[in-house]
Amino acid sequence: MYDELKFSNCNHSKDPIVGCALEGVASVVAGINDVSIIIHSPQGCAATVAAAFDSHEVDFTKRKVGCTRLFETDIILGASEKLKSLIMEADNTFNTKVMFVVGTCAADIIGEDIKGLCDSLQKNIKAKLIPVVAGGFRGNTYDGIDIGLSELLHFIEKNDEKVTNTVNIIAPQGSINPTWWADLKWLKDTLDFLGIRVQTVIPYNTSLEELKEASKASANILLSQDVGYKFCDKMEKLHNVPLILKDIPLPIGLDNTARWLRELGKYFNIEKRVEKLIKQGEELVINILRKRALMIIPRYRNCKIAISADATMGIGLVRMLFNELEMIPEVILIRSNNNESIKILERELEDLGINPKVAFGIDGYQIKEALKSNNIDSVIGSSWEKYMSEEIGIKLAFDSFSPTDRDVYVDRSYMGYDGMLNILEIIGNDWEKAYRSKGIDWEESFK
Amino acid sequence: MNTKSDDNVVFKGRLSELYSLAKEGKIPTSLQGSHTRPCKFWTATKILSGINNSVIITHGPSGCAYGVKKTYKLTNSRNSGSIYEPVISTNMNEKKIVYGGDKELEGAILEVDEKYHPDVIFVAASCATGIIGDNIDAIVEKKSKEINAEIMAIHCEGFAGEYRSGFDLVFGEMVKLMNPPTEELKNELKHSVNIVGGKMGAERTEVQTDVKELIRLITGMGAEVHSIIAGNCTLEELKKAPSVAVNCTLCLDIGYAVGNAMLKEFNTPLNSTILPYGIEATKRWLMGAAEYLHMEDEAKALIQKEYDDIKEEFEQAKGKLKGKTAIIEGHDAIKCLSIAHMLEKDFEMDVIIYNFHPWSTDARQTSIDYLLETDMDPKILITKGTLAFGKYESMKQTEDELMNFVGDLNPENTVYFGSSLSFPKIPVVDLNAILNRPRFGFRGALKVAQCINTALQYSFRERSKMFKKIVFPEENVGLQSSSLTAKLGNDLPDCTVYGERRRGKCMMS
Repeated sequence: MYDELKFSNCNHSKDPIVGCALEGVASVVAGINDVSIIIHSPQGCAATVAAAFDSHEVDFTKRKVGCTRLFETDIILGASEKLKSLIMEADNTFNTKVMFVVGTCAADIIGEDIKGLCDSLQKNIKAKLIPVVAGGFRGNTYDGIDIGLSELLHFIEKNDEKVTNTVNIIAPQGSINPTWWADLKWLKDTLDFLGIRVQTVIPYNTSLEELKEASKASANILLSQDVGYKFCDKMEKLHNVPLILKDIPLPIGLDNTARWLRELGKYFNIEKRVEKLIKQGEELVINILRKRALMIIPRYRNCKIAISADATMGIGLVRMLFNELEMIPEVILIRSNNNESIKILERELEDLGINPKVAFGIDGYQIKEALKSNNIDSVIGSSWEKYMSEEIGIKLAFDSFSPTDRDVYVDRSYMGYDGMLNILEIIGNDWEKAYRSKGIDWEESFK
Repeated sequence: MNTKSDDNVVFKGRLSELYSLAKEGKIPTSLQGSHTRPCKFWTATKILSGINNSVIITHGPSGCAYGVKKTYKLTNSRNSGSIYEPVISTNMNEKKIVYGGDKELEGAILEVDEKYHPDVIFVAASCATGIIGDNIDAIVEKKSKEINAEIMAIHCEGFAGEYRSGFDLVFGEMVKLMNPPTEELKNELKHSVNIVGGKMGAERTEVQTDVKELIRLITGMGAEVHSIIAGNCTLEELKKAPSVAVNCTLCLDIGYAVGNAMLKEFNTPLNSTILPYGIEATKRWLMGAAEYLHMEDEAKALIQKEYDDIKEEFEQAKGKLKGKTAIIEGHDAIKCLSIAHMLEKDFEMDVIIYNFHPWSTDARQTSIDYLLETDMDPKILITKGTLAFGKYESMKQTEDELMNFVGDLNPENTVYFGSSLSFPKIPVVDLNAILNRPRFGFRGALKVAQCINTALQYSFRERSKMFKKIVFPEENVGLQSSSLTAKLGNDLPDCTVYGERRRGKCMMS
């Protein structure tokens, strides 16, 4: 059990730190190759779609986005004709295999028949039209990802035979690692080393052909603890592909990585190879830290830290910070709110024997209040937590997650052994900067 | 103006002709569906984000609040070191959309007042609550009696107007927060001005920005700046704002909106000129302010001193440019018109604005009217790519068309004023680069002159092949060029690093 944080004056007002359902839907679309997206909406919603494409780093040359730019008369009179002509124009220009036609709040509320329009228009359109209703009010980004993923189920074909030693990786918008695709790469490389073939990644640079064959995999691995459970349930029911490794934290830090790899090894009966991988990885981390970071032991020991992250990163960090760095996780703030991740965290805390203050589905106000009202030395989070810490007077803020103030040119995993070193590198550098003597007002100090 | 292929040309002529055609509906003035701009909600909240200790409650789903918070508030923190600022959402879900969100808004107003203690609360309507018809005005009126903060409803539903209508709306409404001038205050502020038309909060701390330059000039004249409206201003400043000697516009278009509203409501004088790029525009801006400050002599002395300080380098650049042709990228209408003004009036160049989207004739009427009234009527060339569908597709096309056009011009006599993300084979002067600031005022004129001198001095150097490949991948190269249109460049001015993006990412791509 954990000590749940309570906040007053938060029943009607939220200072959101995740986007709306449209962003979630768009982020799923952005992970599919050769698709375009038409949003039936006022033009501001295009910024939300752009944010989703940013989260997949789809560069500007490959973005195929159109918007009906709805105005007042369209809201009153309807805008089906406008949508129709935009779809036709986009089909001619973009030439993609698939076009998602997404209705946002305005179109959703006025009841535009996007599905009917797509059906009637399909025979004249080269791209396969996929209508999606995604009013922002249908939930937050995570809910939108669920909506988007459920649309992908239509593309997955029935296959009775499974290919042994294959997995799908379900990586719905990865995580708040600013280069989360590096975690995906780490996983793919690891699986490759272990002789497990990746059938389909959903959705990151995914082709429609790959999507069709996702049902051939012998298991699903979900690279998120924030979202994707509903999709995995459906995959199991419809295509008999089970979700594995679902009850433990993701591979962040030495212990979690070893545990995760061992579970994987057990499932695929490759324990020996897994042990080799663990041995190599742990030696790598320990040897590097011995040479370059001996001082982290006195630095980090018993440092009271707040973790403000998504469940994917946040839950895994708890064990790493507590067991391996000897820090004390005092506060754990998780952006999403789902039963699966709550249970995993509960088990973790019980196993570790600690009782930090915890909140799920938090907003900006709650993060700030939690940081203010608890006695902590440091926080690991995003640039938001960094700015809050500056104001509150928390000297150590490790700016590790999106949105980050840090320029990241080289993709950096946070999972696995290199991933642990990447996290430690940020903590080490931010720690160093926080205590530069330039920031000390000597005259003031010696008064 | 000649182009190699007139087949690509949609319009060539003078600004006044384009303006007439647009007004008569003889040229399409709508943006393509692939070329969205921020909606009314975004532009309204951009202005509101410049008022300190205010809280915006967006009555709608969370995405609207989250988007503007990431973009504007996070950027305020990143650029200036200002504190974390929330943007609140009533978090409308499906059920509330069906049954109405009145109770949510009422509760949110009380909670926000209680937990943030703001000076002022703005309740911004979103598309969703605008359509379902929640009576925001009545709720605001009712709750205003129960809270400490001042409160104001802003009807900025995303569908309710074009891009700039959000600016105009908020500046118009903001006047309601102001107090009428009093003799006492007028006397106190008789040597003070407001700079009007600012947005989005605190200035960058480490950069010599344009606003800082204007403040330096005003104070150099012996006057003071009372408030930047609405860039890092306070409610208290706003209340006193009508009592200053004069409002000076920062950006003519949106500055005019608030300045004119204050003129009508409080008779606060308005000094409204084009962006003070270059010497002539700066002189006009300063003398316009001085007239109401009764500091004409001080202004003249300042102008002389400022000119003397830059004279040598400025005249050197002018000597190199006089009589040459300037092609000015037309994507940012206000800037390109102001740069055209500077290059023609200060440097005596022959200017052509390339790809001024006809959409801008409606969005930027104030600036166009001003230019035409001051006998500026620049040449405009619009090619088909400007109106083409598909953002990147349109970029490629306009860039090819630019190459085609530039191909006919003598590189010895032609300079391109636009983004360095474009690669015409003539000297490129990129005034957006952060090292080239400030651009306003005399120092700005000097920066422009230096920028031109450097561009000409190193025009022998081929543009970086690496840069070209970054912005224009080889597999996407058009037939005639390997470069990116200027349009993208305008989406990512490095003065405005939007917080939620990593550096170098564009705002609305």
